[in-house]
Amino acid sequence: MSAKPGYYGKILNVDLSTGKSETVPVSSRDLDLFVGGQGLGMKLLWDRLKKPGVDALSPENPLMFIPGPFSGLPVPSSSRTCVVTKSPITAPMASDHPHASTVTYSNMGGFFGPELRFAGYDGLVITGKAKELSYIVIDDGKVEIRDARKFRGMRTDAFDKAFLEELGDRKFKTVYIGPAGEKLVPYSSIIHTAGRAAGRGGSGCVMGSKNLKGIAVKGTGQPSVADHERFLAALEKARKALYGTAYAKSWAEQGTARAIVGNSKAGTESVRNYREGTFTEADKIGGDAARRDVWVRDIACFCCPLACKKSGVTKGKYGGVVHDGPEYETGVMLGSNLMISDMPGLLKAITVIDDLGLDQISTGNVIGFLMEAYEKGMIDRKFLDGIDLKWGSVDATLAMIEKIAARDGVGELAGKGVAGLARHIGQGSEKFAIHVKGLELAAHNIQANQPRGLSYATASRGACHMSGDNIAMQNRRAMLDSTGMCFFPTFEPALEEPMLELLSAITGHEYDKKEFEKAGERIFNLEKVFNYREGFRRADDRLPDRFFEDAFTIGAKKGAVLDRKEFETMLTRYYKDRGWDPESTKPGTAKLKELGLDFI
Amino acid sequence: MTTENKENRRGVTRRDFIKGVGVGGGALVLFGQFGVHSAAWALSGEPALKMIVVDYGKCTGCRTCETACASRNRPVSVKGKELPGLGNPIHANIRVHSFNPDVDVAGVCAMCADTPCAKACPVEPDPRGRRAFYRDDATHTMRNDEKRCIGCQSCAKACASQRTGVIRPNPETGRPEGMCTLCGGDPQCVKRCPFGALSYVEVRRDRKFYGLGPEKIAAELARNWYGTTSFGGAQ
Ligand code: SF4
Ligand code: SF4
Ligand code: SF4
Ligand code: SF4
Repeated sequence: MSAKPGYYGKILNVDLSTGKSETVPVSSRDLDLFVGGQGLGMKLLWDRLKKPGVDALSPENPLMFIPGPFSGLPVPSSSRTCVVTKSPITAPMASDHPHASTVTYSNMGGFFGPELRFAGYDGLVITGKAKELSYIVIDDGKVEIRDARKFRGMRTDAFDKAFLEELGDRKFKTVYIGPAGEKLVPYSSIIHTAGRAAGRGGSGCVMGSKNLKGIAVKGTGQPSVADHERFLAALEKARKALYGTAYAKSWAEQGTARAIVGNSKAGTESVRNYREGTFTEADKIGGDAARRDVWVRDIACFCCPLACKKSGVTKGKYGGVVHDGPEYETGVMLGSNLMISDMPGLLKAITVIDDLGLDQISTGNVIGFLMEAYEKGMIDRKFLDGIDLKWGSVDATLAMIEKIAARDGVGELAGKGVAGLARHIGQGSEKFAIHVKGLELAAHNIQANQPRGLSYATASRGACHMSGDNIAMQNRRAMLDSTGMCFFPTFEPALEEPMLELLSAITGHEYDKKEFEKAGERIFNLEKVFNYREGFRRADDRLPDRFFEDAFTIGAKKGAVLDRKEFETMLTRYYKDRGWDPESTKPGTAKLKELGLDFI
Repeated sequence: MTTENKENRRGVTRRDFIKGVGVGGGALVLFGQFGVHSAAWALSGEPALKMIVVDYGKCTGCRTCETACASRNRPVSVKGKELPGLGNPIHANIRVHSFNPDVDVAGVCAMCADTPCAKACPVEPDPRGRRAFYRDDATHTMRNDEKRCIGCQSCAKACASQRTGVIRPNPETGRPEGMCTLCGGDPQCVKRCPFGALSYVEVRRDRKFYGLGPEKIAAELARNWYGTTSFGGAQ
């Protein structure tokens, strides 16, 4: 049986418990319906977890790295890999299942996804648990599990180097966890090239639970395409839509960091644990400042004409090499959200978080919560193991980061995230515990941005800023993150047609805008069905009280606050438009059938 | 083109300086700091030639050049029609080497004047003076005569130990691959590089010119950019 064009029709399954690895076929129908990345990952998760409440840290939970149909072809920005697994972080308000949690997916750029496809796989699925700390080497068809005990506790920058040295071939592309993942801190990340991350949702913790320190892959093959000539023609068009454009240049110039000053002005930045939307010192940590004082290089992922990643170097007390940053998310979560405006200090925090293998967003959010609780006298210095966790203190932030990664003292509790902390501290602190379903919010504040509030409330992995501010965008993003293409170039309208053309030429399945969104809707609905089965209901699609109670006191959006009634009305309309029951949020059978999800 | 000598360093902004640090041709010209392989072309007295030059300061490590090169130099036959391939980077004659800290070195044949690669070839020269590995007189590119090549890999070893290490012996035949063809005068890597990091330029005879391996180039760039010489990873 020949595989569907654009695919190999197989994934690599590595079982760390038995040490066995094998290729497993993926049906053309599944590839047709779920495409790759986030979508195919969700389908594989659904197939493998046949009942709700599976412990995310149990050997049963598959950890999956899924590229998409664009991956391994020279399509602009076709760099992404989606890491899909069951979340070790999220939890419903109430459920019959003790380990109930959502699906989680985390999308990572770089070179790992393309290389997986060069090696001959549409995805990598890891199950089981190794007896000792191990790493996996994939060299085309050859797969080995090797002892990694000597690397125990190694930080990601050092491991990035040591791993390649051990492998003896720079062509390997690697991913790995840091000490935090080994210690099972729930919001641990998976790191790639020392500065790229699958950060959100705790995939690094799941990797740690499998006793898996790293994965290396290299390959010599390449997937096929359905229509070669059409592919080449569309590729030319896609390049033309981006190359040398003002749009691409603006990404190369500042990356996402441009928004640090922009969003602060607009009143949509996370500042002082989401108390404000504007940071008066934003220019000190923004893109212009970084360009002037820090950055030395613009760095691109595979075949990307944008180059949004920036590396640099800082001097002084906090000086050193900076693999990436500030980006918008990292710069805001560790900067304005903590009232830190010292650029080298901010970059030190960002660098250490990656080095330890923690999620930047959750870490920044947790420390912001603790700073506020400390300021309000709900916790004292003793609670914080002596750390004087004041707003803007770099040293206190650095100390707290180390504690979290080591699960040492207060770090053990802080590692549980703001939901866990608020439960422990009480005293009304849950009002400013900024999470949805247990996952912390990102760097976009919402008192003045209700649509983004909808994204946070209804996203499948908990508070997700990437999910989309309305149904159409949510569907589109779910699909986009299933193709292997990066989200950033797709704001350029001229790319839309060539992108759809490329996808059609590769897969032999005709995609227009509608068909593209339809696939995304299918993926989003399967995620919802999964979460619903775990016990997530409307009450879980809630936003923290702060957004309805604490109006901004400064900035362009001074006075802005969300209206609860308006928000609830918007939610009801959202469920109805989705074809879900507005009370329970259960997806209707008619909708599921329409989407080809009748296997549920 | 970016700065090439010390005079130009005066009066440039920090960014210009950083950007200007690395320009080379499959090789590196770095304010004349490299003296490992002395100015081969400068001494050779050969006429000027055109070749691929990399501006390491502009290169982002995106590897588009690899795919463009492979696409052109590894065409495929589709329904009896020869078309550019899908660009599997494994077949590229330009190779992007990535390091930590973040340095990417696009390596391409430096078209060395003294061709240690060709000199290492043990095959008897033909009447035109060509060994199985030889320089094409018209384009100055390095070529392999598959019919006479015995697959001994001497050319690859010479290049790797003395220059850029671009030659990859074919895993089955041992014959050399990876030498830049200049794409028949229409270099695809230059055309497709999204960041203008590659150019197809005339190399002056008086230009100091050194064909170095990617590790040496990366170490120098890291020292200039990040102030560090500690490098991880495999060689
Ligand atoms: S295409 Fe240009 S920027 Fe990209 S790796 Fe090659 S030389 Fe560097
Ligand atoms: S193959 Fe190597 S030694 Fe020969 S000309 Fe090219 S870079 Fe120089
Ligand atoms: S591999 Fe072929 S071309 Fe190279 S040195 Fe040996 S005989 Fe000459
Ligand atoms: S000029 Fe042609 S053959 Fe040479 S490196 Fe560039 S694309 Fe490859």
